[in-house]
Amino acid sequence: MGTITVCPYCGTGCQIVINEYGSSQHIIGYSLSPVNEGKLCIKGYSGLSYNFSKERLIKPMIREGDSFRNADWNEALNYSASRMREIISKYGPDSVAFQSSAKCTNEENYLMQKIARMAGTNNIDHCARSCHSPTALGLINTIGAGAATGSIGSLEDTRTFFIIGTNTTEQHPIIGAKILRERKKGKNLIVADPRKIQLSTSANVFLQFKPGSDIALLNSIMFVILKNNWQDNDFINSRTQGFEEFRKEIEKYPPEVTEEITGVNPSLVEEAAMMIAKERPAAIFYAMGITQHIHGTENVMDVSNLALITGNIGVRGSGIFPLRGQNNVQGSSDMGALSEFYPGYVRYDSDNVKKFEELWGKKMPRNRGLTLSEMFDAAADGKIKAIYLMGENPLITEASVSKVEEGINNLELFIVQDIFLTLTAAKAHVVFPAASSLEKEGTFTNTERRIQKISPIYKPPGEAKPDWWILKEFGKMLLGMEDYSSPEMIFDEIRKVIYNYSGASYDNIFPIGKQWPINKDFPEGTEIMHSKSFPIGRGKLIPVPFGYPAERADDDYRFIMTTGRNYYHWHSGTMTRRTDILERESPEPYVEINNDDAMMLKIRNGQVITLESRHGSIKIKARITDKIPSGIVFVPFHFVEARVNELVGENYDPISKIPEFKVVAVKVIP
Amino acid sequence: MAKLFKSISEEYDTYGTISEQGEIVFGQVRGFKDIVDGRSKYAPKEFLISRNENILYLPKIEKKAVFGIRSCDLKGFYIMDRQIYGKDPFYTARRDNTLFINFVCREPCEGGFCSSFGGPVLEEYQIQVIPDGGKYLVMVSEEFEKYMKDFKVVENNEIEKFRKDFDNKMEKLPVEGIENRIKWNSKLWKEYASICISCGACNFSCPTCYCFDLYDREDERLREWDSCILAGFTSSSAGNNRPELDERLRQRFYHKYVYYKKSKDVYLCTGCNRCTEDCPVDIDIKEVITHDYSKE
Repeated sequence: MGTITVCPYCGTGCQIVINEYGSSQHIIGYSLSPVNEGKLCIKGYSGLSYNFSKERLIKPMIREGDSFRNADWNEALNYSASRMREIISKYGPDSVAFQSSAKCTNEENYLMQKIARMAGTNNIDHCARSCHSPTALGLINTIGAGAATGSIGSLEDTRTFFIIGTNTTEQHPIIGAKILRERKKGKNLIVADPRKIQLSTSANVFLQFKPGSDIALLNSIMFVILKNNWQDNDFINSRTQGFEEFRKEIEKYPPEVTEEITGVNPSLVEEAAMMIAKERPAAIFYAMGITQHIHGTENVMDVSNLALITGNIGVRGSGIFPLRGQNNVQGSSDMGALSEFYPGYVRYDSDNVKKFEELWGKKMPRNRGLTLSEMFDAAADGKIKAIYLMGENPLITEASVSKVEEGINNLELFIVQDIFLTLTAAKAHVVFPAASSLEKEGTFTNTERRIQKISPIYKPPGEAKPDWWILKEFGKMLLGMEDYSSPEMIFDEIRKVIYNYSGASYDNIFPIGKQWPINKDFPEGTEIMHSKSFPIGRGKLIPVPFGYPAERADDDYRFIMTTGRNYYHWHSGTMTRRTDILERESPEPYVEINNDDAMMLKIRNGQVITLESRHGSIKIKARITDKIPSGIVFVPFHFVEARVNELVGENYDPISKIPEFKVVAVKVIP
Repeated sequence: MAKLFKSISEEYDTYGTISEQGEIVFGQVRGFKDIVDGRSKYAPKEFLISRNENILYLPKIEKKAVFGIRSCDLKGFYIMDRQIYGKDPFYTARRDNTLFINFVCREPCEGGFCSSFGGPVLEEYQIQVIPDGGKYLVMVSEEFEKYMKDFKVVENNEIEKFRKDFDNKMEKLPVEGIENRIKWNSKLWKEYASICISCGACNFSCPTCYCFDLYDREDERLREWDSCILAGFTSSSAGNNRPELDERLRQRFYHKYVYYKKSKDVYLCTGCNRCTEDCPVDIDIKEVITHDYSKE
């Protein structure tokens, strides 16, 4: 028997078929899936054995002194709910916070934010804060929906691919592969990245720009477009607003001027501009290279500007594609696991919150909640007393991890729900053992808005339970919330609350999923959004002036460090580092450093060096490569042995509160 | 066939090709009518080589009969027999206890090139079936003749005729001598390396790839299917002696078309085209055979 489900890793959302009979097992890509067309990457093929690790959590645990004791579910849930109730009655609802997870299903994210809001607080957030919160805010502002505008399948019609700030073949390998297949057919490929990523070797134009100069680069591309009158005037006139003011800003960015900021030769900018504007449809892809900056939201809006002035939106093959890192970043954001949005992106201060009050039968909080990093700061300041965290490991993934630790240490109640005892879970007062995504039912929404069904293949180990079960039991005890008997029952409530999901059901999204908006206007879902108009009417062109990143190289800190992931590992490594083949491929932390820099500093390949920023320092092995330009170093953040986030400071985008993971000034000490 | 199925099922657990949401996979089947006549999405290697298993103990091996495996996939086992049969106790025990009833494709599949390697009617088989519009031509090896007592025996010129017809429909590739033509410094390897995403699909899909990774987990010693495209594969304390991706890709093709031929007198390839089908970036193994190396 084969079971169709969704790969637990990136936001591509490849469908996998796990075929099991007796002791044998075969994993394949589902060939009818429009997402991956039967293909998988190494994480899909060889990345699932963490599921059977003997380190899986199998019993609820309650802290006793420096260690844990096992408890039964009833005791652990009761203890947690009554402690939280005490804290709420003593300090008020805003003294507690909830951290949801983009690795959990829509149903689970929905439940967690509902519990938070029913408890009276908007202190609900999750890791999308650290990856795509600028996308939600930026794109909702400019085009009315924070989501990819097209589909993966529609890329067959694309003539020009513009890749900026995404190492697609490593982080979204199946989408990267699709782009390479299209490139082989003669399509244009423009790659903009500080590092020589794999796609750059196949590119027609490679814009190797300096970290943090995204806006200068994008504005210079648009300068060339406007100077040559290559913009789509019909589209600008009929579908957008704010062009004249926007134009004034762009006039300040001739590529000859921006070259000093970006390091990019003007003739390359010219070539790229021509392709994006003239060889349409063009599709623009971006990921953390755009968002993880203090100008993250502005970067996103500038990407949107480029798509709007060239009319590259709403047509098959064109569009803006924010590539989602985790399998359910899109869904968890849609579900309102964000401090400023109720489900369906209803702002906390909007009149539409009434809808939830009617449905949930309770007055809802109308104040802005705390974001992920603010929660830990508030905990350190004694304002947050309790955190309920599901499926995240902020002690590795958050910026300024020492501050996070300080916050956690100061909590009166810290509940962690996970499949492993992570660095973070080890600090909890109560640990709930959760089922993995291969052991439960629900839905994930992928990077192209496709709502896909997941189905259990294996039984959870020991007493581990699906996250939705744990949450609804907790909700019952804390708030007397209703008893959901299945994820489908939760999904049916989601359909009532979020119009864009209203037409989806467990039956009609199986097996290949459907793309939201799916509702009575679009009963079959929507492959291409914004084809006739934007949800906000006209698209907004917003002038975005260039500003430098928070940190710059200087005489003391001569290098710029950027952080990110590698092909084999996943975030804090909770899963992949327990998967033998993946761990074998990338067993230890490393820093990529340019050949010339290494030679100058007399650093040998594999030598342990010290990286020091204004915020902390780590020891780490050097990996010498020509893939990274001189003056820049790259460190993946997966490794607990060398937590690169000790080096990342508290520099936040004022709009989205995303930390600037991509630009940190460091010293390299041999 | 129902009769044949029944007598086999008295001795074996029966498996066959079934359809799961439009995907042809293998599953347990109770009657011949449960079997879908179609090419499975993958070569069912796991009947003999588990994807992931503890090798400290030989588990109880059940007798299994597998209906509907395609000739190209079955041939893979006959080829790897030369390397691992009798040496790998897990493979050997399963091989001895598994009966494959291979179905011969009547029409060439898209991209397939099995006829270049002697397919689709195999010389070596246990029970080989050529479906023929409701009828079945069945070829049986000596060991399994007991199942065929009550059936009519036909002249084998029908099979010869089928072979000829098939050969007319599928173009043969110039496989002969590839071990001498292929070039160490060909530009192909770097070209492939520039787009290969190291997913391992070519290995996992291949009916002749048998390499595995070995590791310990608590009280188990596990082996798991591995991929020679990965840098960690066969790496030693000094690292991989093929540090670059192009070297590893070349190694894979050389193993298939040069080394195995020279040591075992057979190519490590059945022409199934599965590596090409599953490759996310369309690297086509046929190009390795047809490429004109003399011009490089």
